[in-house]
Amino acid sequence: MAQTVTPGTSPEGPRPSYMYKVVLLGSMSVGKSSLAYRYVRNDFRELLPTVACSFFTQMLNLDEATVKFEIWDTAGQEKYQSVCHLYYRDAHAALLVYDITNKQTLSRAKLWLEELEKRFLPNEIVIALVGNKTDLAAEREVTTEEGEEFAQTKGLLFMETSAKSNHQVNDVFMGIVQELLRREKEKASKPFPHGRSTVDLRASEARTRCC
Amino acid sequence: FTDVNLNSRNTYEVSRRRSAPEHLPHGGTAPAEPAPPPQEPAERARHRVGIAGAGSSFAEFFTRNFFTKRTKELKPSVQSAPGWKLFGKVPPRENLPKDSKIIQQEYEARTGRMYKPPPPSARRKNIEFEPLSTTALILEDRPANLPAKSVEEALRHRQEYDEMVAEAKKREIKEAHKRKKIMRERFKQEENIASAVVIWVNEILPNWEGMRATRRVRELWWQGLPPSVRGKVWSLAVGNELNITPELYEIFLSRAKERWKSFSETSSENDIEDAGASVADREASLELIKLDISRTFPSLYIFQKGGPYHDLLHSVLGAYTCYRPDVGYVQGMSFIAAVLILNLEEADAFIAFANLLNKPCQLAFFRVDHSMMLKYFAAFEVFFEENLPKLFLHFKSYSLTPDIYLIDWIFTLYSKSLPLDLACRVWDVFCRDGEEFLFRTGLGILRLYEDILLQMDFIHIAQFLTKLPEDITSEKLFSCIAAIQMQNSNKKWAQVFASLMKDNKEGDKNHSPAPKS
Repeated sequence: MAQTVTPGTSPEGPRPSYMYKVVLLGSMSVGKSSLAYRYVRNDFRELLPTVACSFFTQMLNLDEATVKFEIWDTAGQEKYQSVCHLYYRDAHAALLVYDITNKQTLSRAKLWLEELEKRFLPNEIVIALVGNKTDLAAEREVTTEEGEEFAQTKGLLFMETSAKSNHQVNDVFMGIVQELLRREKEKASKPFPHGRSTVDLRASEARTRCC
Repeated sequence: FTDVNLNSRNTYEVSRRRSAPEHLPHGGTAPAEPAPPPQEPAERARHRVGIAGAGSSFAEFFTRNFFTKRTKELKPSVQSAPGWKLFGKVPPRENLPKDSKIIQQEYEARTGRMYKPPPPSARRKNIEFEPLSTTALILEDRPANLPAKSVEEALRHRQEYDEMVAEAKKREIKEAHKRKKIMRERFKQEENIASAVVIWVNEILPNWEGMRATRRVRELWWQGLPPSVRGKVWSLAVGNELNITPELYEIFLSRAKERWKSFSETSSENDIEDAGASVADREASLELIKLDISRTFPSLYIFQKGGPYHDLLHSVLGAYTCYRPDVGYVQGMSFIAAVLILNLEEADAFIAFANLLNKPCQLAFFRVDHSMMLKYFAAFEVFFEENLPKLFLHFKSYSLTPDIYLIDWIFTLYSKSLPLDLACRVWDVFCRDGEEFLFRTGLGILRLYEDILLQMDFIHIAQFLTKLPEDITSEKLFSCIAAIQMQNSNKKWAQVFASLMKDNKEGDKNHSPAPKS
């Protein structure tokens, strides 16, 4: 899991810094780009449709670590599915986004989960289910319980958000970071099976080439 | 006073739209300024107040040239002018502004008054220079109720004041020169376009097949097509292999309309399920078109709901999904259709759209045929390594593959990634050279930003290339594209690509590419 472990310099001594790749997956127009935009720029606006993939970064200075998020915001249209594995490979976390006013988008998120389960080992990736557009509560088609229940049975983080009214967007990413750091600690307390704790930054950032 | 300033802003906009460069005082032969007629309050007010206020000196310059005309006759047409037709359906010189002297004469004839030059002291001689707030700063003595400054202090203040004003003046003059230079270049460009239009219309278009491949035409083509012939040349160059007629377009359009109608009638029901997945797919496609149209060039405000081209874009895309259900609507298409609509009439736009998307490269991408896309990427990388070896290695060291940035560029033919005018110029040469030019343009962009990219890591490169700087200029980009050689050890793009395709066929037998996670 430890992707980038380089000792940071804080007064209390070395503080680890991590780089995590987070990928946003989900149907078209559920608000993937808007969530990323809200989180990184704290703004909401009409965004162009994403073709293929767009990218964001965010630095977090936490008490226990410095975290750099690489956010990969993918195109939602199903037609793009055959290239999507290019984008989620080597991800540390995935946000499966659906639109609470459109039931079909939840089914689509479930399909994404199946796909991820095929490609990743259970502990390789942190997955969060995100029901977006709570500002459109009047048009709701998916109840909070429904999303929550599904997330629970699959062991996913769950949250409902609104990128438009800035509802719990930050919390989603914080939830992910906490979980990633928790797993990091868990791993550190166990013996290293592969001795990966001192991975060189450059080597670890290199991605395995696909195909 | 506020009113006055707002007015002059409007005028500036108008004068700009009306092909302003004619009125530049270039080469020292500045056109005589029209008289500030008696009813010109802005001029008066400005002098009286002594501070030029919010308007820039440049705007004021145009204000003066057009003030007379505007107040008399331009104003109503200005307010109703919609300004949509920015993109070439209007011949560029249709609205040639009149020379200021003519305006003046007309004015005199109308008012029956002769132009009296105002006393020199009332007007500034140097029209390049208008005071901004800094240079119009007034040094006041202390109010009478406060103790007067000492002589020394007063002198020092005077000196500081002079220095401040001199500095500001210098800066403003420099800026004025810069602006003048830009305008002169723009003027030159317009002249070039005007003469190019004549050549295209009179010589090339009537003899299209005979001339299109000649060196002279190719060179002229590289310079960019004049907006007024752009659509025509694109149509001719893309061709109509599919033999689509305007009537056929109407048929598919009415089919699309029927479908929309039935879709909106049943959309609230869940009876789509028994109709099968393919129908649901198509419905989703139609729904998606609606979503995407409003997100196509949102800054132009013409494709959005209520905008003048909203329905057109909807029609062209809808008709296409009926015409090619095997391809359907794919995100990115709306940008291509929009650019065509800006340059062609509806049916012609559809014909060009369908034929353009039928080209092998576009078909591979819009079908999201990943193995074919990989061939294109591989060919691209051959030329990437050849042309920009250092950057190629840099990208390699981060395992940054072309799919990260090329998919977006190729899908939308750069119309989403580059400023629209620049994208159109890329399309011009794409129509001349075919798919290879799309990849050459990509390499041109990489070359243009090579130094910056060499300093960046993976994610920053990805971010940078998927959101290019907005100030990218056509001169710079095209000189970089020109420097890209599309020859690899004597093999051209088509040959390199063909040999990759052959490798693929041979390799298929014992190796199937599987993504690893």
